[in-house]
Amino acid sequence: MTTPLSLSGLDLPRRNGELAFDAPWQSTVFALAAAVIENGFGGDPEPFRQQLIRAIAAEPGRPYWESWTAALEELVP
Amino acid sequence: MSNSDHHTAPMSPVEQRVAALEALLTERGLVPEGFIEEITRRYETEIGPMNGAKVVARAWADPEYKLRLLADGTAAIAELGFGGPEGDHLVVVENTAAVHNVIVCTLCSCYPWPVLGLPPAWYKDPPYRARMVREPRALLAEMGCPLPEKVEIRVWDSSAEVRYLVLPERPPGTAGMTEAELAALVTRDSMIGVARL
Repeated sequence: MTTPLSLSGLDLPRRNGELAFDAPWQSTVFALAAAVIENGFGGDPEPFRQQLIRAIAAEPGRPYWESWTAALEELVP
Repeated sequence: MSNSDHHTAPMSPVEQRVAALEALLTERGLVPEGFIEEITRRYETEIGPMNGAKVVARAWADPEYKLRLLADGTAAIAELGFGGPEGDHLVVVENTAAVHNVIVCTLCSCYPWPVLGLPPAWYKDPPYRARMVREPRALLAEMGCPLPEKVEIRVWDSSAEVRYLVLPERPPGTAGMTEAELAALVTRDSMIGVARL
């Protein structure tokens, strides 16, 4: 498969536009998680989600995308 | 050594960790060429609340569509071309004069990506995740969405299986509007349920 995302053309301007990512490493870790879910777990997001829940619970005050990084490190030893 | 073209500052620890993950996963063949760039481009430009706004506008304009949307959110949203990760089981909950719905994820940050994009910062923070369950009326008021006591508040905790989207009430005075005009009225926060239109 080439991509897990299906979309149609969109013409509305972006609204309430908080940028999704503040830095390139954040979009990278997001995309890496998507790649692992799609190509490593057959599209099942649950294993990653469980790691993310643990990572957030372990350090609730940690910046969000750092929790993603920690979760991915746990998922892919 | 002179500066390279790409790196003018040293990598932070987290950047180094992500770079290591990228190298490892690429070596294992899990990251197709161009995948990171493509995902980033889509989430920064194509996937966001404008998708949900189209769904809401269609539901306001087309009563048959609204029935389908409330009966099977995933299928009705797919009619407009939206789907994919975090969108396998989309449930749409309708606001009325008597009921106000709001979504939260108490454990992490589950969110209906195909229709709202990635969640705003406050949605991911512990105070929102805890307080929206414990004291939704007070928190909504603090967020600029005070509700009369007679309005019932329903809090939907996203889970592994289900992602929720709030269908806001159609504002008064919009009778003659086109779908595109209606979509322009719909805000992200109204589809999370922390604002009314």
